[in-house]
This record gives sequence, structure tokens and C-alpha cells, in this order.
Amino acid sequence: MEGLRACVHCGICLPQCPTYRVLGEEMDSPRGRIYLMRAAADGRIALTPTLARHLDLCLGCRGCETACPSGVPFGSLLEATRGQIERRGIRSPESDQGTLSLLLALFPYPDRMAALLPALRLYQGSGLQALVRGLGLLAPFRRLRTMEALLPRVPGVGSARLEELTPARGGKPRGRAGLLVGCVQRFFYPDVNAQTARLLAAAGYEVVAPREQGCCGALHLHSGRLDDFRAMAKQLVASFRGDVDVIVANAAGCGSALKEYGHWLQDPEAEAFSQKVKDISEVLVDADLPLGELPVTVTYQDACHLAHGQKVRAEPRALLRRIPGLKLVELAESDLCCGSAGVYNLVEPGMAAELGRRTAERIRETGASIVAAGNPGCIMQMDRACRALGLNVEIVHPVSLLARALREAP
Amino acid sequence: MAVSAPALREALAAIVGGDCLVSDPALLAALAVDGVTPRWAARPGSVEEVSRLLALASAEGLHVIPRGSGSSLDCGMPPARVDLLLDCGRLSAILEHSPEDMVATVQAGLSLAALGAALGRHRQRFPVDPVGGASRSIGGVLATSATGPLRFRHGGGRDLLLGLRFVQADGTSTWGGSKVVKSVTGYDVPKLLVGSFGTLGVIVEATIRLHAMPPASGAWLLSFASHASAAAFVAGVLDSTLQPERMVVLNGPALKAAARPQARAAVAISVGSSAEAVESQGGDLRRLGAGLGATVSAIPDDFWLELGAVLAGPVRLRLAGEPSKLCFWLAEMEHLAGEASVSVSALGEAGSGAVRAALGRAALDGGWLLRAVASLREGLSAEGGYLVVERAPREVKDEVDVWGPISPDSLEIMKRIKRQFDPSGILSPGRFVGGL
Amino acid sequence: MSVEAGLIRALTGIVGRAGVVATLEGRLTYECDMHTFYKGIPDVVVLPESAEQAAAVVRLCRGAHVPIVPRGSGTGLIGGAMAPQGGVMVSMTRMNRILEVDIANRCATVEPGLINLWLSNATRERGYFFAPDPSSQMVSSIGGNVSTNAGGPHCLKYGITVNHILGLQMVTGAGEVVWVGGKAQDRPGYDLTGVMVGAEGTFGLVTAVMVRLLHLPEDVKTLLASFSTIEDASETVSAIIADGIVPAALEMLDEVMIRAIEEGIHAGYPKGASAVLLIELDGPRAEIEAQAVRIEKICRDHLALELRVAQNDAERALLWKGRKEAAGVIGRITPSWLLQDAVVPRSKLPQVMREMLAISARHRLVFANVFHAGDGNLHPIICYDDRVPGELDRAKQANEELLHACLQLGGSVTGEHGVGLDKAKNLPYQFADADLNFMARLRRVFDPDGIMNPGKLLPDHPACGEGFRPVAPTLPGGTWV
Repeated sequence: MEGLRACVHCGICLPQCPTYRVLGEEMDSPRGRIYLMRAAADGRIALTPTLARHLDLCLGCRGCETACPSGVPFGSLLEATRGQIERRGIRSPESDQGTLSLLLALFPYPDRMAALLPALRLYQGSGLQALVRGLGLLAPFRRLRTMEALLPRVPGVGSARLEELTPARGGKPRGRAGLLVGCVQRFFYPDVNAQTARLLAAAGYEVVAPREQGCCGALHLHSGRLDDFRAMAKQLVASFRGDVDVIVANAAGCGSALKEYGHWLQDPEAEAFSQKVKDISEVLVDADLPLGELPVTVTYQDACHLAHGQKVRAEPRALLRRIPGLKLVELAESDLCCGSAGVYNLVEPGMAAELGRRTAERIRETGASIVAAGNPGCIMQMDRACRALGLNVEIVHPVSLLARALREAP
Repeated sequence: MAVSAPALREALAAIVGGDCLVSDPALLAALAVDGVTPRWAARPGSVEEVSRLLALASAEGLHVIPRGSGSSLDCGMPPARVDLLLDCGRLSAILEHSPEDMVATVQAGLSLAALGAALGRHRQRFPVDPVGGASRSIGGVLATSATGPLRFRHGGGRDLLLGLRFVQADGTSTWGGSKVVKSVTGYDVPKLLVGSFGTLGVIVEATIRLHAMPPASGAWLLSFASHASAAAFVAGVLDSTLQPERMVVLNGPALKAAARPQARAAVAISVGSSAEAVESQGGDLRRLGAGLGATVSAIPDDFWLELGAVLAGPVRLRLAGEPSKLCFWLAEMEHLAGEASVSVSALGEAGSGAVRAALGRAALDGGWLLRAVASLREGLSAEGGYLVVERAPREVKDEVDVWGPISPDSLEIMKRIKRQFDPSGILSPGRFVGGL
Repeated sequence: MSVEAGLIRALTGIVGRAGVVATLEGRLTYECDMHTFYKGIPDVVVLPESAEQAAAVVRLCRGAHVPIVPRGSGTGLIGGAMAPQGGVMVSMTRMNRILEVDIANRCATVEPGLINLWLSNATRERGYFFAPDPSSQMVSSIGGNVSTNAGGPHCLKYGITVNHILGLQMVTGAGEVVWVGGKAQDRPGYDLTGVMVGAEGTFGLVTAVMVRLLHLPEDVKTLLASFSTIEDASETVSAIIADGIVPAALEMLDEVMIRAIEEGIHAGYPKGASAVLLIELDGPRAEIEAQAVRIEKICRDHLALELRVAQNDAERALLWKGRKEAAGVIGRITPSWLLQDAVVPRSKLPQVMREMLAISARHRLVFANVFHAGDGNLHPIICYDDRVPGELDRAKQANEELLHACLQLGGSVTGEHGVGLDKAKNLPYQFADADLNFMARLRRVFDPDGIMNPGKLLPDHPACGEGFRPVAPTLPGGTWV
């Protein structure tokens, strides 16, 4: 834990920490959490449920890493400490481990998700959702209510299909791109995957989306379930073993985890895999894309695992600015977490709702009608937060805006 | 107190030497404070002598009033009695001047003029310039927190004071602050003494921050047809990137006293900087003024030195409300005075919002002054402002609290401070705010 | 003095359950500020949300004779916001609203927990800023700045915090809630505002602050000059000051510091130079153009290797990010460090820097320098490894020697960080017994029972105790006393 010693306790991270911003408490700040981790590592205090609670409340957004002048690797320190806590079975009564386990048993398994979809589709299509929301039927059930409120419009049966292989369509050939379809993305936002493939093809890539790919394990990594994570990561690496020049992720949380496989698996194949991973915005930023007019005012929220996890900030903005007619207005504190943070908004609904509210307030100040963000979780979270504020804005992936503006050669 | 007057005289003379102790009634009468003749006046020649004088005064319960140039001794409530006037005039040395550090340590009795002459040889200055105050002493300027036009750019004595030696009521020589331009070692004790009007200790030495004389300067008088236009000009300059050195507002009578062409109100402004910057800022200021209908004339350097005449007269007030209301209060005062044909010659510090005004003798007729003070205080207090009667005949002071009311919470703390450092109440007792 | 369960219940009654931190894990994180060398765990931490709550907390503690330690963002460098005697720590972080911005009167009123930079961020669009800019300004609170009378690079031109405080509200150690100062300036009476600023929480809790706002300058010019020796850079600083120019900021960084900054922040400082001066001029364009010409000449006359002017706001911002986060990058070069804050007269800078090199060589320790050269305010970071036996002692010895060297040259113990627990013992170097005694008595005026931040600011020294009387001046011989 040499990384812990690099912290000089300067506090520059504090204002960048969402939970510190809400609570103003030292132990719920990065500096305080590092202090607790170090105290535990030095044997000054035990790993207690209270300590676990302060770490559980961390979103893992890694805003503090961006702020830190000393380069403390907060994300991996947190994940490693969560691993210790997990191994020892330490639980805080205030943390919702039940929901977490449920979600970790659901999201990463395509077959389980696929089985759930028709029921959700029926719930929304039958008018039951409107009834439930209108009458506040879930009001007494906090967790269920939270999940229900986050539920995006479940795509219909006939939504865009992603072929396993999409041929390059324009521009000069740029090679073969492997596309990570993700878990939440593939079931709730399949259009984004289809649009990603279309854009990559237009940019000159042959796109392959291996059918056998599973979950990247990011959620398990962030929860400290390192063994499960490693198993999933190995499987994913294997599924992309074919000949690809670049591995493209369009979900920031997944992309960030993929880029860290080398660190966590400590094997050359994983390292080589990580080297190839790029966010879709990094791939497209210098591609020739024929873009037509799209006269809208857009603001951009940095997904934490893009801005802080992958240090990708300029590329998505540059891409959006390339769309003729599109006006990009900056969102104040756009790199402060919206409260989504993987499954955080499901297991810590109170804190997440407050962060969502603050983000929505800032969105309101921009006057934009569209908010772009490069991660499905953020899109769901902001969608709910804006609805709760009565704010009529559309939350989309930047890829969707590019796809709308794309004028493909016939 | 069981000591006879001759014995006390002897003891005082033993400290400062017979030559430096005044006990001749005729000479003492000329040193009267608000009409109260001191029993003795001593002119100590060292810090140690000041210490011993105060230790003696403490032991004997002598009421002591420190004196610099004597220009502001009539500011404050009249003393019940003055046993010892402690004249700091002999303490007039420049103890250290380090031009390359822009810092000097001087004795309290040194006059601003003498300091200015010494610093001028190095093209430096101590930018505290109370109007008409060239002969004032450094100690007095600090003790009364006096400010002048240059405060606009450089702050007041409070902001330029780095360290201070003072002698407490019991004779203890005490140092606060430091001799370098930046120090937060311990409490900022010098701030406590600034503006304390000789009630907490006798200031004997000060270490002050200096500034370089600007390479070039220019000054202009902008005359306006109304207070509102003058106010708009002041607000315009304040809300701009212009950085004048001085900016004061003068009303009609003040212009007359300063031998300037008549106008309802005028703003005197100066820029000190590089020649190019004086040129360009001067142009901007003149244009801003012209846009508001000002008549602009250049003014010579000695204009500032001659402003003292503006504030001459039997009654002088100092008041401030919110800084942006400077011209409002100026007009308010003129309005009250106009009804009773009282002349008001006023000078306002743009930025701080402090107004100083000299009133004509008519102010003393029929209780007008008391009514005017009460009325202005009522209005000012609504925005946290105040009015101080800085100078007035004794009979007026018998009728009015020259300092005006102080918030009871603050006064309670001030009283505890006074009790702590002058427990027997020998330093200018009863003369300061709230009877301190 | 330990805190009993009853007191915690009473505190909970004042600030609510969510306003009390009583767990060991929670309290532990409050045991130090940025000077992690000094640790002291508070018995309980409370987070009031109003002046009324803060006042109730003080009154409760006064009645129970329990010490109170105020805390802002905990970025102090002096062991100020830690609890050596336990007691109740009062964290002001939840009182962080801007209460009023009054452009016409060029001032703002804020709660003490407001982060310094947020105020300027809120007023910049209107053309105004809050001048005190401690390097921690992106996180330190205005209440903390007021308590330590914080400085910063730009206080060379603009003055330190006290020059920008028009008034404040304080809950004194006696439990009074008092507003001092205000928009109307030069009020008659003692300058309570002036003496409350910099009291480091020993007078009471600051619960609101009225600050001066300044108009943004017309133009800003940032120059970077590099030198092959620290002496050349120091001579340059002295020459600029002696020339009568007051830059907005005049900072020096040495080779060790530049390397660390470039590794962590990539701010664009020239690697390899022994010293760099970061010189900023601001004000009317014509004025700073003329000053820049003179400064460039002075730099050349002192053998500057390279002279560079930041070409745009982004470049300037990056240079300043490097400078301001310098304390934060220390973690990249050393596991442990001591930080000095002494001041010397500006003309003595070359001399003290030579002395510093000798001390560092004598004790075989690396010093990293990043400091306010224009003010003569040194910030050597004395690097050591706490795992190497004897290094800490050598570092302390070097620190002490350097401090004495500064004081011998007519300097001051602390220029802007404050005294806290760290430097209290050094005050007798700078002040005589009578001076210390005056301060101790002043403290008693505000905090009669000694509950406010005990152990800080003043040393454990006879002159600071009850019953101390300075040596009386000799009176003439006689019969009357």
C-alpha cells in the first residue's frame, strides 16, 4: 500500500468529492478515506463495519485522482481495501449489501437480463407503469421505487439489431475494431451499440462484436469482489482473442475497467488487451465523418470513468463541436459525479438522488435541451433526476447525436 | 496618591530632566486639551523615559494624555482633568531605513513632512497623507487612524504598519508585529493600537511599509453640475479597471476654499504610474468624466498639500455610511445646512466612503448642530454608518457624544480590553467611544 | 478533560444527529490538518449549520469546561485544526453559503466554510475577485483564511487577508455573538476586526465574514525567468524590489521543486534550471508593459538563462496550477517533510539562500524550495524519510538552524501559515516576555476560561501564564511609592 503514503493530506481532492460536497465530513472525503485505509494498514484501527460504511459511501468516481497532485491511485486503493473487507465478510448494517448482491447476480448475465426484458416491456407497454407512477404505489418500498424510477424506456422487440460483423463503409480502411456491447447498454440502449457500429463503419472500420462476449466485471471490481472480476475479465479477453486492431467501448465504466485489466490480471495477454482499448470518442475524434446539420443546444456531462478513469475529456467535446449547427454549452462542474456510479444509485439511493438533483440543477442553468454523456448509467441517472425536477431535457450518448447527424454515402 | 505636588514634579523632572518638564502655568495653558490645562507636560527623550513616566503615573493615578503634533488633541470627549501631557515631540528619529527593503522604523514624534523629506531622497514615500497634516506626527496619525487621499490606492496606516512599540499604562514597553513586510507571528497587536486615541498605550516607535514614488503622475479636477453626476463618475471609475492613486469628492464650498473654479461638486483624481500609463489612464478618466458632462482641468502637484484649508473651521465632522452612498450623504448634509444657512465645506474619500466636513460658525446657532448630528446619525445608523464630531467647541461637546453610539456587543469587548490594559484608567480616560 | 455521553447528547440536541461525529473512525480523520506530524483526536466533532448553533455549542462547552477546536477545510500547515487536549471540534464546512454579493459597495458576505476560490468564481463574471489567494485556495475556507490571516502569492501587491476583511461575526469564547466592522469603514472604536483576524480560533468561532472585492485588472502578464544558480535568482528578486516595482506576485522555485511539479502536473516549467522566477504583473496595460520592460532588463542583467511570457490564459493558468499545487506534489519526492515559513527582509534573500544551501549540505538533507520571494517569505520543504533512523532529528535541527538564521537577519517566525501548535514554541525568539504577556492577556479578553483552541498560538511560557508581571521600569528614587 505504498500508494497510501503518497497522500500528503493537502485536501485538494475535497471539493472534487461528491460525498464531501453533500456531507462536508472528513471521513466521507477522499483524504479521510485514505486516512482510514492507512490507519487500518498501519494497524492503528481495525477494519470495522463503520470504516466499511465510509468506503461504501464512496462512489468510486475517482474525481479525487484527477485532483491529486501527488498521484495517489485512489481507485485501486479503494478497490483493494474493499477486497479485504469483502474477504473478511465485514458488513455495515447501513449499507445495502442485499441489493448489491442481487444486482451483481443479474447485470453481468446476458441470459438473466434477457429473461427479464419481456416482463419490463409488458410493464411499460400495458400502462401499468403509468398507473404505478401516477398512484405512487411503490412509495413504501424505497429500493423498488428507486429501481423503478431509473428504468429507461425498454427497447421494443424490433429495435436496431447489431450484426456480429459490420463491414467498413466509407473513408480509407482503418482496420478491424472489436466492439464491447456491455450489459446495460446491450439490453437498455441497443441503439447506441448499433449507432456505434455504424459510425465506426463510416469511419472506415470493419466492426466485429463477438457473440460470446460476456460481462467486463467492472461492477464486481468496484465492489471489491476481485475473484469474480478476474474470472469475468479472463473470459472477456478470451472472447476478443481474434485479430482486432482496437477494442472499442462506448460505456465509460466498462472501458475504464478494460483499460485496467493489465494492472489487475498481471498477465501479458491482458496487458496487450488493455493497450488496445479505446473509448469510442478517442477512436472517432480524428476520423472523417460526413456530418450534416443538427441545430440543437447540447451540454456535456463527463462520465466519471471517462474523465477521471480514462482522462478522456476533450475528445467527446471535440466530436460534438464538429456537428454543424450544434451549439455546445459547458456544464458547470461537469466532472462532478451525477450519482450513478455503476449500481451506486441502486444501493445508495439517498446520496445518489441528492447528487442527481444537484446535477439536474446545473443542467437547468445551461438552458440546453440535450445532455450528452458517454455512459448508460449516467444517462439513466440524469434522466430520472431531470424528470424529478420537471426539466424537459433529452439525455443521450454522444454517439447518438453523431449518428443523427451522419450523412452516409449512398 | 499620598504625594505632594512638588514631590511629583521633582519625580517627573528626575525622569525627563528639568528642561523637558513644563510646569509654568502660562506655557501649560497653551497646551490645554479641550480647555483643560494640564498640571505638567513632559517631553521624554527615550522609550525608557516614557516607560518610567507611565510607571510613575500609574503608581500615582495621574491622568495622562499623549501628544504628537497636537493637531487632533481636541478630537474626543473633553478630559475631566489632565495631570500629565506626554509630548512625544523629542522622539523624532528615523531609527532605520532600508531603502532596498522599502521599510523604515521611526520614532512616534517624527513629522510626516520630515519623514517625507528623508524618504524622498530615495524616491520613496509613506503614503499616508491626511489633508493639511504635513506637520502631524507618525504616532498621532496612527493613534487617530488618520487617512488622506492616497488611501485610495495604498490603504491607511493600519494597512501599512508592520510593527509597533508602545508603552502600556503601567510603563511596560511592548512590541507587536514585525519588521518585515509579511508576518503573522502572534496576534496583530499593532492593529489594536491604531485608532485607539491614546487609551491603550503610548505609541513610541513604528515600523512602516514604504512605496516607491511613481515615475510619473498626473492629476485632474472634474467639475460636475450635480452630485448625481459626480456620484456616477465615482461609481464608473470604481467599477472599471482604472487604478488612480487618489480620488476625492469636493463640494462647492470646498472648491472655493481650495481656490478652484466654482461647481456643485467636483472629483479630484490623480494617477501615479509610468508615463505611458498616466497618459492612457488620464485619457480614459477625462473621457469618462466628459461623458457625464464634466469640465476637466489639470491640477498641480501642490493641490493636495493645500487641501487643509477645506477642512478649517470651528466644527468638523467625519461620517460614513455605505461607500457607494458617499455623494448621497454629502448632499444630505448640504441640504440640512442649507435650510439654516450653515456653510459646509466637505471632502469625501471615494472608495472608503468617508466624508469629512468643516461647518461654519452658524452651525453653533440655536442648537442647529445638535439637531443636525442627531438627524444624520439616525439616517446613517440604518445602514451601519456613523458620524463623529471631530472638532467642536467645548459647550457643544457637553451636549453631545462626539463619537456617537457603538454597538453594545462591541463596546462590551472594548471595555474588557481597556480594563485589561489600563486597569486604573490613567490613559486618556473618558475621552474615547462609550466613555473608554 | 474528556467528553461525557451527556455532553454528546446535548450537542446532538443542538446540531442534530447528522451534525455529530462520535465514532472512533470518524473522529480519527479529524486528528490532524496538513501538518500530519501533530495529531490529536477530538472527543467529538460537530458540524453546525448556523451561527446560532455554533453559539449554543460554545456556551455548552464553556459551561462544561471542555476545549473547542475550530476547523475549516483542514488545510492548515501548523497543527492548528487538531485537538491536542481532545474536546469538541467544530467543523464549519456546512456553513458555506455566500450570503450577499454587493457590487456597488464592492464587498461580499459569506459563511466561514465557503471555499476561497468559489467566491471569486461567483464574482468573476461581474468583474470582481477576492484577492487573498493562498495556494490552497481551491480548497481552503475563507473562515480558515481569516483565522490564520492567510497570505498567498498575490499578497505581495494586494496585502494579506486582514487587508480584505471589512467585518466579521464571531462567537467569542465567552459565548457572545458579536458582529464587528461592516460596510461603513473607519468606524470609531478599537479595530476589533483587525485583531480578530489571525487569532487562529483562540478568540472564538468565526461564523460570518464580510470581505472586500476588488475589480479585476485590465491586463495580466506572467513572466517566467530561469537561472543557473539560486543566487542569481535571489539577486534578481532583491533588484526588482529595490527598483520600486511591486509585481502582483514574485515567486521562486528551485530545481527539486520544478522536477516534482513537472512530474505531477506538467506545468511547463523548464527542467534543468537551478531556479525559476514566476513573475506576474497586473493592472492597467500601459503600466504593466512598462514594468515588464524594466523587469526583463533586471533579469538579463542577472544572467537569466531564459525569459518567457505566458502567451494566453491557458498557459498562465497552467503555470499557476503548478505553483499552487506545489505543496501537493511533495508526496512524489519524499515520504515525510517539514515546512518552514520564516520571513527575511527582501534584501537579505541572497544571503539567506546561501545559508540554506550550507545547512542542507551540513545535514545531508534535500530541501525543495517554492516560495514568495518578493515578500522574503521562505517555504523550504525539508525532505526526510521517517523510516530512516535519525533523519527526523536532522530535519528538525536543520529547520531550527534555518529559523534562527532568518531571525538573525531581522526576520519573522511565520509569514503566512500562522503559529498553531507547530510554532508556538518559537514565539519567544521573536518576542520579549512583555510582548507575549500582552498577547496572553488579549486572549483572555475574548476567551476568559481558556477553552478556545488551547495549546495553540501562544507558547507554554511563564509570560503567558496568570500572575506574570513584566519587570517594572525603574522609578526615580523617592518616598512616595
